[in-house]
Amino acid sequence: MPALTRRNLLKTGIVGSLMLPFTTRFAFSQDSLVSQGVSDSQIVLGTSAAFSGPSRGLGIELYRGAQAYFAHINSQGGVRGREVALKLYDDGYQPVPSVQNTMKLLLEDQVFALFGYVGTPTVTRVLPILKKFQQEDILLFFPFTGAQPQREPPYGEFAFNLRASYREETQGLVENFLSIGRTRIAVFYQADAYGRSGWAGVRKALSAHGENIVGEATYKRGARFSSSMRDQVEILKKTNPQAVICIGAYGACAAFLRDAVDGGLEIPIANLSFVGSENLLQLITEGTDASDRYARHLVNSQVVPSYEDESIPVVKEYSELMRRYDPTVPGDLYQADYQPFEKSFVSLEGFVNAKLLVEILNRLGDMPSRQRLEEAVFSIQDFDLGIGELISFSPERRQGMRGLYYTVVDEGRFIPLYDWGARFS
Amino acid sequence: MNIQRLFQKTLFGIFLLFGVIAVSTSWVCIATVDSQLSEEYVSNSKGIAKTIADASVDIILNRDLSALQSLIDQFLEIQGINYIYIVNENGEFLAHTFVPGIPEEILSSDPSITDGIERSFSGAENYIEVGSPILAGVAGSVHIGMDKGLISLKIQRAVGRQMYLISSIFVVGIFAAIWLVNLAAKPVSALLGYAVELAKAGDGEQSASNPLLERDDEAGQLARLFLYFAKIVDPDRVEPQAVK
Repeated sequence: MPALTRRNLLKTGIVGSLMLPFTTRFAFSQDSLVSQGVSDSQIVLGTSAAFSGPSRGLGIELYRGAQAYFAHINSQGGVRGREVALKLYDDGYQPVPSVQNTMKLLLEDQVFALFGYVGTPTVTRVLPILKKFQQEDILLFFPFTGAQPQREPPYGEFAFNLRASYREETQGLVENFLSIGRTRIAVFYQADAYGRSGWAGVRKALSAHGENIVGEATYKRGARFSSSMRDQVEILKKTNPQAVICIGAYGACAAFLRDAVDGGLEIPIANLSFVGSENLLQLITEGTDASDRYARHLVNSQVVPSYEDESIPVVKEYSELMRRYDPTVPGDLYQADYQPFEKSFVSLEGFVNAKLLVEILNRLGDMPSRQRLEEAVFSIQDFDLGIGELISFSPERRQGMRGLYYTVVDEGRFIPLYDWGARFS
Repeated sequence: MNIQRLFQKTLFGIFLLFGVIAVSTSWVCIATVDSQLSEEYVSNSKGIAKTIADASVDIILNRDLSALQSLIDQFLEIQGINYIYIVNENGEFLAHTFVPGIPEEILSSDPSITDGIERSFSGAENYIEVGSPILAGVAGSVHIGMDKGLISLKIQRAVGRQMYLISSIFVVGIFAAIWLVNLAAKPVSALLGYAVELAKAGDGEQSASNPLLERDDEAGQLARLFLYFAKIVDPDRVEPQAVK
């Protein structure tokens, strides 16, 4: 079915009403294909992400990882002869531009599917659009957020997730803290849907053990490392926490870690995978002699394994293709003053997302259509992506992976954390 | 500018009058705008609170709280709304928009109160807070804080515009008053001069040709009366026809 533009409606209506008795199913399919972001040479996917602003590192790194794999596939002739192309828009991690970009992608660019969105406040505002255009069979693939709205009714059916959810990440963090006797857990979070999602996860996990969040402090989305988080530190200090779980982006979380340690709150400070671990580490280590003073309190959960561990097949492939292609954000989205990381957890996630999406596109056959996209996703059963976890999808299971990995900083780099007691007791 | 002492009081009176007008109309303006805007604020806030409360039921019962936060974040974009919070039936905060944290004043207040109340956080501005129960209160309540600073700003703008208008009228009025006072003062000055002249001359012979005697107004009449009284002092020189 073509996109809901006036031109297409007219075209479909007039041509359809006159020609329907005579046309063949094949002829109609060809016409639809072009308007569904598929041509003889390309499959066009649409992305709205943060390529500018204080969280740009997330959008840029996620894109770099995905593009490394797409570049590799395209160099080998693409998916069944069609190059995978990304139509990119910058939303600066703000909901309103994200909604506007999505409308453009659907109505003007008529992309085949949405892919690689970044953030909870953005994605939660986009989901109703997908429901509105549900007759277009447009789906959102693998957004870089672990929030619940795209995992449950009424919008869950319009998205597929690959990464573990924030609920799972926070549950893992809480249980590990509880296991080492740190029961007084406070939360520092972004004052929006993302922060609330993580806050709700912590609350739920603590509640299961008869505990409550002992204190909470918030910050406004868009805060930078230069922002002061002393007020937030003071609020949390009064509650005497034994650990803090941060649900934020790297700029604000790095600022909080700095001010917390400087303010005497020397306890484990955890972050979720969304934080952008390398960006955070860079902020707290650059230009300071006391970087370890901050870093030793840090523990980050990840939804992909360490990019240093090349014994994992997908990590090895990622390392090789990142070295080979070293993608940069194209055109006017390019940020000259941003120095990308050679490897990062975020770009590895982007890479894994792209790899699975290519597999799905491949399963659509020679005549890809949105109508069969969901069916192709559900055909993924016990699929080995090379990450150490078999991936399956079904109408009841719209999240591919459950794996969680915990990392701490040692000698300026993230290493896996296996023994919480030894590190934080 | 030669303004007679008599008319200086008139000008002072005009100043005073304008002052009274400016103060009284400003006071009425402030009271009216404040009252109307506050009523409108409370009314709008109640409407918004009810909308959120109605929309929250499904989310609270069935969905993740991030959807609830996303909902209130959208309403926070409305001008004048400073904060929104939602508590459950136990008074636990389910979603809010406070940064860097929930103010003590709100933490210690009774969340079941949904009538309009005024709040003033330490170091912050005043707010009008209204609420709406969710599912008749059994699922909690929604509270919205409207920034009274916006009302003050609107009052300042309204009063400012009014003062600008009054000041403009005042300036024009002053110039007009000075011109009119001078216009009125001229014949009085001339009359005074004529009276002095009559007194100095001793007889009214020479003074009988003064142009002031030709005037039709009160100054002319007074001049002719002065001349008449001067002639009375010397009856042979009386010229009754000079008195019209």
